[in-house]
Amino acid sequence: MPSQYSLLKESWVMILMYTLALIMIFVLTFHLLLVSPLTGKSFDETLSYSFVVHNLTYYRIVFGLLLYAAVIHGMNGLRIILLEWIHPKRAQWAINLVIIALIAVLLAIGTYTLIVV
Amino acid sequence: MKIRIRRFDGSKSWWQDYEVEAKERDTVLDILLKIRERQDHTLAFRHSCQMGSCGSCGMVINGKPSLACQTRVLELKTELIRVEPLYNFPVLRDLVVDLTGFVGKHRAVKPWMIRRNPEELEDASSEFVVTPQQNMSFVQFDYCIMCGLCDAACPTMALDPLFLGPQALAQAYRYVADPRDEGLDDRLEVLDDAHGVWRCHFAGSCSYVCPKGVDPAKAIQFLKKDILKRRLFRSKKESSSPATLPKVEKVPDNAPHPPPFDYKFEEVSQA
Amino acid sequence: MSSEEQEKGYKSGLIRSLNPKGFNLERYTYMLHRITGVILALYLIAHIFEIYHVGLAVLNNNPQIWYSTLAELSSLGILEQIGLWIVAGSALYHGANGLRLILNEVFGMLLGKPVLPEYPYSPTSLSRPQKAAVYIITAVVVALWIWAGLYLLAGLGVI
Repeated sequence: MPSQYSLLKESWVMILMYTLALIMIFVLTFHLLLVSPLTGKSFDETLSYSFVVHNLTYYRIVFGLLLYAAVIHGMNGLRIILLEWIHPKRAQWAINLVIIALIAVLLAIGTYTLIVV
Repeated sequence: MKIRIRRFDGSKSWWQDYEVEAKERDTVLDILLKIRERQDHTLAFRHSCQMGSCGSCGMVINGKPSLACQTRVLELKTELIRVEPLYNFPVLRDLVVDLTGFVGKHRAVKPWMIRRNPEELEDASSEFVVTPQQNMSFVQFDYCIMCGLCDAACPTMALDPLFLGPQALAQAYRYVADPRDEGLDDRLEVLDDAHGVWRCHFAGSCSYVCPKGVDPAKAIQFLKKDILKRRLFRSKKESSSPATLPKVEKVPDNAPHPPPFDYKFEEVSQA
Repeated sequence: MSSEEQEKGYKSGLIRSLNPKGFNLERYTYMLHRITGVILALYLIAHIFEIYHVGLAVLNNNPQIWYSTLAELSSLGILEQIGLWIVAGSALYHGANGLRLILNEVFGMLLGKPVLPEYPYSPTSLSRPQKAAVYIITAVVVALWIWAGLYLLAGLGVI
């Protein structure tokens, strides 16, 4: 099979990483602005229950996007760093497995949080 | 002047100090040659041309991969010069490193012209045209002398011994960028691998240490761009076709030798 | 570890790959990008578990669950603010430098064109546009980071 049609290639992983990075440039900026002086509150006030719940419900889709982008981008980045550093085949297999499990757990918890608030 | 050399005899390694007189224009290679002539004939190192065009004398001098023949000792401005074998290479003895894997990686990226129709190369009727402008798109990366300094400076090479390395990747781009070449798809299997082009994170150290101005980091970023274009847009490069010169009839191998050209010198009339 | 393994050069690879001493400016950005990336990934894991308590609070209709989580974190004292400050700086730097890397790697920008190498060589990929981008990123990130630091300290009543 010509290799240019193979989907399981590193470049697709990187395309995913670049796309999620670009999404996060906007979404994470928004998230940081919600805990910034621009809200007109002090830092402790931005963590108050009512403000947090209001943000999580009002911008649910934005936070959902951030959750999925950040978890996949971050954990895959961690995976790449670990795989560059640790070489035994079995260890690499274990790293891949742990990272996939971690992504699943984090997305499950995050999605659950976003649904119930 | 003191020079501290990392020695290795096959089983153990140690630092050894030598005291040498250095003249104004002496290079590190000159110093090493002096040591081998007058102090310690067991010191092993590679060198050949002594003028920075063969790429044999790559070594780490004061922590920076450099060509010994191009590094003047007085320009280093340190009392003690530390010389080590190239990083990220298996050491054979003293300053001599094993380049087998390095050359193998270079070969793995297929550093030769690939045409979809191989007959065009094997049975060419005329040359492939490369304009001077097209030539500029890859000639910089053609200057590589395979000294291995870029691989020694690369932070990913320090972690991942299977990584192709800046040298092989820059050479891959030299052929990918060549208008006569159509082999990107053939090379993707190695380039777009877990140890391929994406393990470059653009620290730029390869370009920083390159003694020939090849700028491997630039080549690798362009290579990434080309691969992304190929994957996302299925784009194919416009490659040059053989120049449309008048077709010359092929002479069979057993053809009789053409008669010698008949020279006739016209006598110049003397005025 | 036998000396032969030591001589292979891969053993101290992690330190050597992260140590930019004696190399170019971009090598420092590489090191910071890696370190900030790891910091952010680890913080992300903790952060998701932290925000999970907001979900629990809503579910039980009891804001105290969230406030007790915050109180536990506050028990770290100034370490909490310093940690948050480092995470904020990491996010700012990783984002800004990541944008530069996307320009480099995806769009082939800031690298210059292939040129005929002429002595003394200065690689165009590491010359003016690239350095300017690095300096601008550093300036912007440092400014925003100081701003974030003042904001976090103001919460402690220090300022």
